[in-house]
Amino acid sequence: MSVDADLERRLGRVLTVGVRASTVFLAVGLALSFTSGATSVASWLMTTGLLILMATPVARVATSMAEYVRHRDWTFSILTAIVLLELCAGVVAALVFHRRL
Amino acid sequence: MPVVTPILVLIILAAGTVAGGLGSTLGIGGGIFLVPFLTLGMGMPIGVAAAISLTTVIGTSSTVSAGRTGSHLINFRLGMVLEVATAAGSLLGGITAQHMNQHTLERIFAAVTVAVGISTVTRLNKRNIVRGDGLDCGRLGSRYLEEESGGVVSYRVKRVPLALFASFVAGNVSSLLGIGGGVIKVPVLNAWCGVPLRAAAATSAFMIGVTAAAGAIIYYGNGQLIPPLAAAAILGVRAGSIAGMRIGSRASARSLKILLAVVLFAVSGLMLYRSLQ
Repeated sequence: MSVDADLERRLGRVLTVGVRASTVFLAVGLALSFTSGATSVASWLMTTGLLILMATPVARVATSMAEYVRHRDWTFSILTAIVLLELCAGVVAALVFHRRL
Repeated sequence: MPVVTPILVLIILAAGTVAGGLGSTLGIGGGIFLVPFLTLGMGMPIGVAAAISLTTVIGTSSTVSAGRTGSHLINFRLGMVLEVATAAGSLLGGITAQHMNQHTLERIFAAVTVAVGISTVTRLNKRNIVRGDGLDCGRLGSRYLEEESGGVVSYRVKRVPLALFASFVAGNVSSLLGIGGGVIKVPVLNAWCGVPLRAAAATSAFMIGVTAAAGAIIYYGNGQLIPPLAAAAILGVRAGSIAGMRIGSRASARSLKILLAVVLFAVSGLMLYRSLQ
């Protein structure tokens, strides 16, 4: 039970940091895009914000896996590793689509 | 591709706030409202709407889950088992989304939501929980403190293969149509797998971040994600979902189920209408 409570706290922190960071990038980027002259900075900020947001669940799964490995819970270590691999496969598919553009 | 204007950005910001509020109250993300709005209301291609919606789903999932830590409503173990299936479904959906006939999928989706809506209505008064903490929860079950009654609620998870299958389908539909997939998972977990609605919604909301991330990255790679529109939708949904979370924990389970059923029927009608156009 204490393992789960510990994990819950850690995952909460990862999610909070990811969402807050991406919100700041997106909000500043969107605000800048309205004030002309800084459009390249604005689009960089928004793209970075989106990438941070998309990376947040990946970081959450990676954190879970690290915790399960640390506690030698091999069943859940393997399950989270599979999820992580599936997410990596998504990135590979994205790169394939990107190159075809 | 829609032209990005300040007015369009503001409309999407407002729509995101409403969608986020409703979505987090029901634990099904905001996509189920945002996608019909962007496609039917704003005339966007479904791929563009889906890409925007998937990024908001990641935001909702992360915000809601981070806010819920400590309540034990999220069943992490169940979530992580089901994520294996949902991420696989999402990955396949994201890859096939670019080549598929959307009309067929919309009709399937309309049929699924009607079925799930009916099952929710017919099980309005059924409760999957046992009072007190004496029950053996099994490997995947859990217990949490219910705010309404102030008592400890325990449950076991039944029919795990069915939950896995529903999660796979949910992941697939999620990537194809840009929704979180909670609309399928929550009722299945609640009606057939023994998970109380609150815990099913919290666990689903926790999982859909992974589901949506797997799909969103593929749309992003394919150049269908428009950053300013996604930014506006995410910021709106984030504001709305924080408000919705507060309402959600106060509303009763029965009224949440009725609201969920109404939403399911409405979404089904919209999807059917769209597929016949």
